[in-house]
Amino acid sequence: MAKTYDYLFKLLLIGDSGVGKTCLLFRFSEDAFNTTFISTIGIDFKIRTIELDGKKIKLQIWDTAGQERFRTITTAYYRGAMGIMLVYDITNEKSFDNIKNWIRNIEEHASSDVERMILGNKCDMNEKRQVSKEKGEKLAIDYGIKFLETSAKSSINVEEAFFTLARDIMTKLNRKMNDNSSSGTGGPVKITENRSKKSSFFRCTLL
Amino acid sequence: MAAACAGMEAAAAAAPAPPPSPPPPAAAAAAAAGPGWAELVCAQGRNLKAVLCQRCGSRVLLPGAATFARRELLLPAMRKKAAAAAAAGGGDVVREHWLVRDMFSFENVGFTRDVGNVKFLVCADCEAGPIGWHCLDDKDSFYVALERVAHE
Repeated sequence: MAKTYDYLFKLLLIGDSGVGKTCLLFRFSEDAFNTTFISTIGIDFKIRTIELDGKKIKLQIWDTAGQERFRTITTAYYRGAMGIMLVYDITNEKSFDNIKNWIRNIEEHASSDVERMILGNKCDMNEKRQVSKEKGEKLAIDYGIKFLETSAKSSINVEEAFFTLARDIMTKLNRKMNDNSSSGTGGPVKITENRSKKSSFFRCTLL
Repeated sequence: MAAACAGMEAAAAAAPAPPPSPPPPAAAAAAAAGPGWAELVCAQGRNLKAVLCQRCGSRVLLPGAATFARRELLLPAMRKKAAAAAAAGGGDVVREHWLVRDMFSFENVGFTRDVGNVKFLVCADCEAGPIGWHCLDDKDSFYVALERVAHE
C-alpha cells in the first residue's frame, strides 16, 4: 500500500523520573486504563498521527520508561531522534536543575541538529510550585530553546507542545531540502518537486 | 521464521497460565459471531470502517488500512487491576484480526516493551489492551483483534 503520510518524526521524552513524561503520552490521564499486565510490561513507544498545514505527520514517541534512573540513556536511544522534549516538574527544583545535565547528555549523544523543547510539567499544581515560570523561560532563552508549561493532568499545552516541536522539525527539513536543491543545481529552486514527494525520513526497526 | 513466531505464541500463552485446552467462552462466542464480521470487511478484504478503542474511542486505524486475517493468538485479558489480581493471569484465544503491514499505517497505537519475542498493542490514549499482537520475527505483520476494538 502506498504511504499514507507526508512526514515521519521520531521524538523522545527526556527528564528525571517522576516528572510526568509518561503522562504526557496519555490523552486521558485521569482515566488511564492501566491493566496490571500492561503497566508491568511498560510501553516502549507510541505512534500518533497529527495534521499540520495540511500535511499528515506520524510521530513515533519514545519514553525512557525509567532508564534515566540508571543513567543508561546512551547513543542507542538517541539514534534517529529528530526532536526531544526536555521535561521537568515545576514542583521539583532538582528536576529543573537537572535539565542542564540532560542538555549536556543530548549534546554528547544525539544528532547535533535535533530540535529541542523544554516543558515545565505539572503546572496544575501551582500551590506546590518550586520553579517560577520566569525561571523556566530564562533557561530556555539561554539555550535558544522553546519553552512551555504543561499539565498532562489537566491537558494544558500538551498537544501544543507536540505540534510546536513537529512544526519546528518540519520547517527545518523543508529549509534543508530547499538548500540542497538550490546548491545542487545552481538554478531555480523547484519547491513543488520537493513538497510533493512522500518522504520517509526515519524507518523504525524493532530491535 | 514462522516457526519461531509459533514458538513464541506458545511461550506467551504459557507465561500467565497454562494454555487452555478447550477454547475459553469469549473465543467460542467470537467464532459463533463469525458471520457478523462480514459486514466489516470490504470485497478486497479490507476494513470498511475505522477501528477505534472500545473504551475511549481513540482512532487506531482508518478505513482500508488493514486486511482481514484469521490466526489463533493468545492475548492476555483486558482486565482492570483489582479483577486481574483476583484472577491472576489468563487470556483469550482470539482468531479474527485486522492485519496491518506497516507500523506507520496506524493512526494511534502504543507498543509494549518486549515480552519474549512479542510486543502487544494498546490504545495510545488510554492504554486499554492488549488489543493486538506483533512478533519481532515478522517485522511486517501487526495483528489487531476484531473483538477487542470498536468499528465506526
